[in-house]
Amino acid sequence: MANIAEQRIKREFKEVVKSEEVAKCHIKVELVDDSYRELRGEIAGPPDTPYEGGNFLLEIKIPETYPFNPPKVKFLTKIWHPNISSVTGAICLDILRDQWAAAMTLRTVLLSLQALLSAAEPDDPQDAVVAKQYKENPKIFQQTARHWTNIFAGGPLREKDLESKVTQLIGMGFDQNKARIALSTYNWNVEQATEYLLS
Amino acid sequence: MSASNETQGAEGGADEPPQPDNTFYECNICFDTAKDPIVSMCGHLFCWPCLHRWLETRPNRQVCPVCKAGIGKEKVIPIYGRGSTNQQDPREKLPPRPQGQRSEPETQGGFPGFGFSDGGFHMSFGIGAFPFGIFASTFNFNDGRPGPPEAGSPQHTEEMFLSKVFLWVAILFIFWLLVA
Ligand SMILES: [Zn+2]
Ligand SMILES: [Zn+2]
Repeated sequence: MANIAEQRIKREFKEVVKSEEVAKCHIKVELVDDSYRELRGEIAGPPDTPYEGGNFLLEIKIPETYPFNPPKVKFLTKIWHPNISSVTGAICLDILRDQWAAAMTLRTVLLSLQALLSAAEPDDPQDAVVAKQYKENPKIFQQTARHWTNIFAGGPLREKDLESKVTQLIGMGFDQNKARIALSTYNWNVEQATEYLLS
Repeated sequence: MSASNETQGAEGGADEPPQPDNTFYECNICFDTAKDPIVSMCGHLFCWPCLHRWLETRPNRQVCPVCKAGIGKEKVIPIYGRGSTNQQDPREKLPPRPQGQRSEPETQGGFPGFGFSDGGFHMSFGIGAFPFGIFASTFNFNDGRPGPPEAGSPQHTEEMFLSKVFLWVAILFIFWLLVA
């Protein structure tokens, strides 16, 4: 790795570790190995959102051209959010693309992602299905996101209605995750989800 | 917190004692003490090599890496501290941005009316000698560039001949003085 990238990451580690957010356990960065090429990030779901109480793991890959180009970041924890792919975890965030600036840091990125969880931008979606639900069925979106946070990110709030629908489909012989995705996609309409799973 | 332990392990403790005010002079890109420091119009400090690379990375979007104000190679100020041994503009250390080549057209002398073709001649005298140059060239021209004094025929009176010779000697002397 180009020396400047490694030096930067080493310095940023200090910064993140010393920061207030870490003290409050809101963000965290860890090394995956000694190479400084790949890191593991973690952000807490912001309060007053469906993600509250959840912990979301991030894969952070540092390009050799860092900090002249942004880190490559995606969610490892499954999440239901208009700007994050529910399938791959890919993120649509301007600072990770053309709005990146060389003075930004891992801390800036993690805080920006946290802000994205608080304020989605459905007009610039990564996941069109989620964005559509966010706009057209905000209440169902909230429940779905909370359910995903509970199941995948350790969130404390259970959505029992939704759980029972998943259980229902599992009882019909479908895979749990496929059933959950089909139900989330079809606004928890069991018939439509079943139809989709059978097609 | 595990991140904290790993970090200290990775740092090796070499530069652990905190130096509170050093961060003030750190480059906003590499986070090291700025080398060949320059400051942008918006007041942000960088190493020139770092900022140069940033500008090269995004040639179509030249913004300050900190505040995203407009920035450019021509809009930064190099900083020379007292201790610095090399006062060269850091911007000249890297291959400068290619510039268009433009050569001046060849110009006639400052006094084309005299038909004096040696344009550079006047310039080399400096201000003090300049009027003599004009005088000499004007005189020369008015004389119609005649042949050597011998061309004056024997029919000419001796006075005329001598005056011509003296005139030429004087002119040549002045020229010799000026050129030498
Ligand atoms: Zn620098
Ligand atoms: Zn600036």
